[in-house]
Amino acid sequence: MNAAGDFYDFHSVRPHEAPHEIEDVERLLAANNLELDSQIEIFVVCRQQGTVVACAGLDHCTIKCVAVAEHLRGEALSLRLGSEVVSLAAERGQFHLFLYSPPHNQSLFRGWGFYPLVEVPRQIVLMENSTVAIQRYCDRLREQRRPGATIGGIVLNANPFTLGHRYLVEQAATACDWIHLFLVREDASSISYADRFALVAAGVKDIDNLTLHQGSDYIISRATFPGYFLKDKALVDHSWAAIDLLLFREYIAPALGITHRYVGTEPFDLVTNSYNSEMRHWLQQPASPAPPIKVVEVPRVSIHGTPVSATEVRRLLAHRNFKAIEELVPATTMKFLEQDYPQIVQGA
Amino acid sequence: MKIVKEAIAGTLESSDLLVKVAPSDTREIVIKSEVFKQFGKQIARVVEETLDQLSVKAGSVVIEDKGALDCVIRARVQAATLRGSGSEDLDWRRLS
Amino acid sequence: MKLRRSMLFVPGDNAAMLSTSFIYKPDSIMFDLEDAVSPREKDSARLLVFQALQHPVYRDIETVVRINSLSTEFGRKDLEAAIRGGANVVRLPKTESPEAIRELDTHVTRIEIACGRPVGDTKLMAAIESASGVVNAVAIATASPRMIAIAMAGFDYLVDMHTRRSDDWQPELFYARAAVLHAARAAHIDAFDVVYGNVNDDEGFMREVKIAKQLGFNGKSLIHPKQVYLLHRAYAPTQDEVDHARRVIAAAEEALRNGLGVVSLDGKMIDPPVLKEAEMTLQLAEAA
Repeated sequence: MNAAGDFYDFHSVRPHEAPHEIEDVERLLAANNLELDSQIEIFVVCRQQGTVVACAGLDHCTIKCVAVAEHLRGEALSLRLGSEVVSLAAERGQFHLFLYSPPHNQSLFRGWGFYPLVEVPRQIVLMENSTVAIQRYCDRLREQRRPGATIGGIVLNANPFTLGHRYLVEQAATACDWIHLFLVREDASSISYADRFALVAAGVKDIDNLTLHQGSDYIISRATFPGYFLKDKALVDHSWAAIDLLLFREYIAPALGITHRYVGTEPFDLVTNSYNSEMRHWLQQPASPAPPIKVVEVPRVSIHGTPVSATEVRRLLAHRNFKAIEELVPATTMKFLEQDYPQIVQGA
Repeated sequence: MKIVKEAIAGTLESSDLLVKVAPSDTREIVIKSEVFKQFGKQIARVVEETLDQLSVKAGSVVIEDKGALDCVIRARVQAATLRGSGSEDLDWRRLS
Repeated sequence: MKLRRSMLFVPGDNAAMLSTSFIYKPDSIMFDLEDAVSPREKDSARLLVFQALQHPVYRDIETVVRINSLSTEFGRKDLEAAIRGGANVVRLPKTESPEAIRELDTHVTRIEIACGRPVGDTKLMAAIESASGVVNAVAIATASPRMIAIAMAGFDYLVDMHTRRSDDWQPELFYARAAVLHAARAAHIDAFDVVYGNVNDDEGFMREVKIAKQLGFNGKSLIHPKQVYLLHRAYAPTQDEVDHARRVIAAAEEALRNGLGVVSLDGKMIDPPVLKEAEMTLQLAEAA
């Protein structure tokens, strides 16, 4: 109840459990020019006398689909909604939160304790609920800075690490004074982050001008690049790829002094392919006040005429064609796939 | 009292504050307030005192203040700290 | 005599209302740790109430804390917060029997000793919310010397009685109101009528206030600040009543000055209850 005597009833709704409620939510979203995001696990929904008047969705650590009925757009209900969704996230173990907002709504979310990270002009702003988290992250990265005029950056998912990845890293390591290699941390792949990390570490052990970094929320994560984890839809929201790339350009690259970003050409994977073309725009062009980063596309290595890719390895793995896989991956990855991976699959 | 896990307390509503605590090796306090210019120092003092009373030597404490009274600040900092310490037993003498 | 017309409910987890509710000048403020607070927020609300109780703005206003039942995991902690925070009164919800009050009394004494408050300083009141509570009202009202009031709570009671609230003279609540009121008067403590939930219906609220006042309730429990003003206005005596009360008091003072044992006004004897009523009228007029 507020001082005017309005009773707001807040509750949480899991979309797949309550399709009827979600229809009401969709109506409110539509009135706010928003679409229901299929990734949302849970909504905070506010009803006033039965009618849905406000909602906010939660996709892991990212708040999306925030809407308040037009006639109630004052401070009070919005702040209540913000408090409810932040509490719900905390209950679900999520404390470091991100939020996407159209640029003109930023001030509203400032009231929720969210601060802008990067902005795609006139389209979207990524905000987080901390003024210091990104700075602390960059401070930690700065400790890993290495001298040199040409510093390369690579981001891999490596699901699993193949000879294709190895070739890309070798090319970069030859051309650069130092290489910073990041692994996507999100556990959305068939092989776990810990296993993927171990395979990459083993696969690049002999390259001595390279630092292998843990992934983070700021580098191809569910928060900064949700489209990346929706591969079967083959859809990448352009502005969201831009968000991830701008974070790299404005925070990560300056912290480490990265001058070049290395990436493999991607013949099979539409998402990655489109990501690469976005990369040329958002890293090289004057799209951001941060210094440009040169994008170097390394053609994918082929073996017997077939380009080596993790997608192909997974396809072969599904058919248990280890003979074919052996040609595409380093020995360390091969050993893992033969010995450990079957148990992982059976155990899952 | 030791902060062993992340926790929040409070709300973002007017006259309240949201307090977020997390484990950390040192004691770090970050305060954001709509009334920081006039009351920033006062808020910081209340937060420090409250943490001292609870013997919180380390931990990250992030505050988003919406013009809360000192007594509200104390209560929310205490609630977040107790939640973050995972302790159920209250020593009321440390709270007043 | 402490005037208790309005007891304003303030949700214990609502920082804004805890910070401002004193400006509405209710006779008592009740910080609620029970129904208004979700289980998730009980710990935080308890601390908020504990801190608010110590704020100087609540020094001059009667503070009441509605705790959770002692049979819940929250009840005893709420009690610690209320007593150590300095609440004047602890309100026990859903009181069914005098044993519940006696159990509460024991815990209150223990905590008063532990925190150095004078034993007996904390007063108690009971909310009656069921048929058995109504039947036991007299025993509840007299269960502890700490008791200062009982309050009728309508919602759960009417469910218990297999009926629901009506709009007119509310026959469904008549017996309970009368029983609770009689228990309070017999025990020489105060009685509060039910809350009126529809905060947008001032007319309906005023209808209920009239019933409560006519029956003889000290006042009502209130859930919205604006009801404080409405209630105080309804309880204010008319100018004729005030004038008459002044003359009664004046006559009594004169009789005292003249050393007369008998007070009379306009040739009629004034009994002590009439004198008491006149004093109450002036007190209400002053507070209105």
